[in-house]
Amino acid sequence: MSPALLLLFGLAVLLLVLLGWVLCDPRKIAKRGSGFDSSQEESSRSHVTYFPQMKQALSAEDCTFLVSRGTPALAKAVRKERRKIALAYLACLRGDFLRLWRLARAIASMSQQVGPAQELERFRLGLAFSWHYEVIRIKFLLGFAPLPEIGVLSEVISGLSVRLETAMKDLGERAALAASLASSMERRSLNTP
Amino acid sequence: MSSFPLHVLVLWACSALAQLIVFILLVSKGSFRKTPVFTVYIALNLCQVAYLVTLYSIPKLSEGTVREFAWYSECVTLAAQALATTEILKITLRPYQGIWGLVWRSLTVTSTFVVALVALTTRGDWANAKWFELNRGYHLTFAATVIACLLVVRYYSIQVPSAYKMILGGFCFYSCSEILLSNIVQTLLKTQYAAFQPIWQSLTMLPFIGVVTLWAVALRKPLPVDNRQAPTAPDSVYSRLSPEINERLREINEKLLRLWKMEARPQ
Repeated sequence: MSPALLLLFGLAVLLLVLLGWVLCDPRKIAKRGSGFDSSQEESSRSHVTYFPQMKQALSAEDCTFLVSRGTPALAKAVRKERRKIALAYLACLRGDFLRLWRLARAIASMSQQVGPAQELERFRLGLAFSWHYEVIRIKFLLGFAPLPEIGVLSEVISGLSVRLETAMKDLGERAALAASLASSMERRSLNTP
Repeated sequence: MSSFPLHVLVLWACSALAQLIVFILLVSKGSFRKTPVFTVYIALNLCQVAYLVTLYSIPKLSEGTVREFAWYSECVTLAAQALATTEILKITLRPYQGIWGLVWRSLTVTSTFVVALVALTTRGDWANAKWFELNRGYHLTFAATVIACLLVVRYYSIQVPSAYKMILGGFCFYSCSEILLSNIVQTLLKTQYAAFQPIWQSLTMLPFIGVVTLWAVALRKPLPVDNRQAPTAPDSVYSRLSPEINERLREINEKLLRLWKMEARPQ
């Protein structure tokens, strides 16, 4: 098979795989997805609000105290538990990010005019976030906890969350107003002889 | 007609029967009002069967002339296929004006890119394989473009009624199988284009019959009345919020990137 034919063959297989994926019910995929509980993700309370507790639980002072007072086995067990908690927390932060990203897409789908550049940029940012998140998660798995940076990250997510939720509320009110206006106009037209 | 092997004639008859069933379903269930171009596409396919039967029955015509005329009719149905797909995509995205605009752009970009790719990969005996290469190029462009649109639809979590999804999926599946089968047959028979024409024809008819059967299943009930009403937001909301959201997302990524770089440093 010549390279050109091989390329075309590969493209056709890729297109078939993509077609299968595109036609799959997204809800089924979400159910199969690892580590994410949709109810957890949809939770109205943002996980970033638990950051102070996480910071306390993972603080270096606590670890030093444990090492100095307890046995090395105890310190090791506690460190392992904390790492588990940190990983779970990181997954929840990702859930927050995805929720906001989805809200941004919802705004785009409601708009009459969508800027391709803005959308492409957001898509690229989403890919970059996923990549960086995976790298940091692996670092966590290896036992390194970058706490100060997570602190800054959660502040940013929290701020964005508040702004978006306000915007969505505003949109909801507009929709309700439009619906009531439409129904009153309809009633008026029915009353007209 | 007598020159065709029996299995090809049987496949041809099955294909015509399946298309006839789809056409009857479209008309009897009233779905033709919702998808007029798709109905025209099915009708054109049926007409093509009749046209080819007549063409192959004329004994005076040479094999080359018959093949040339057969390909002309294929051009018409392929153009109708593209229009029918556009119609269904338009129905799917009607309530989402902004996304429809985006889909149109992605359609143009993807098709331009794939056409360029096809032109680069097209080699060999152009005089003999012209129609064959054009057909494969068309199907590759078509499948890539429609899948790109479906990816956009999925990215924005837009619900597509299952009947429309089956029609679009059927078109894409048929195009992908055409490309795959063309490549396999061409590899096996090298440059003997005249030899692989009937084999390729009978092989590609099988997935087409499968797709038409799938459409018949999808169309057994009338197509759903599209009463989806996407909530609309003023343009100012998007233009105000979108750059802001992107800016925030960029900040998050920068923070993550900084963290990654910090970690990469030797301790």
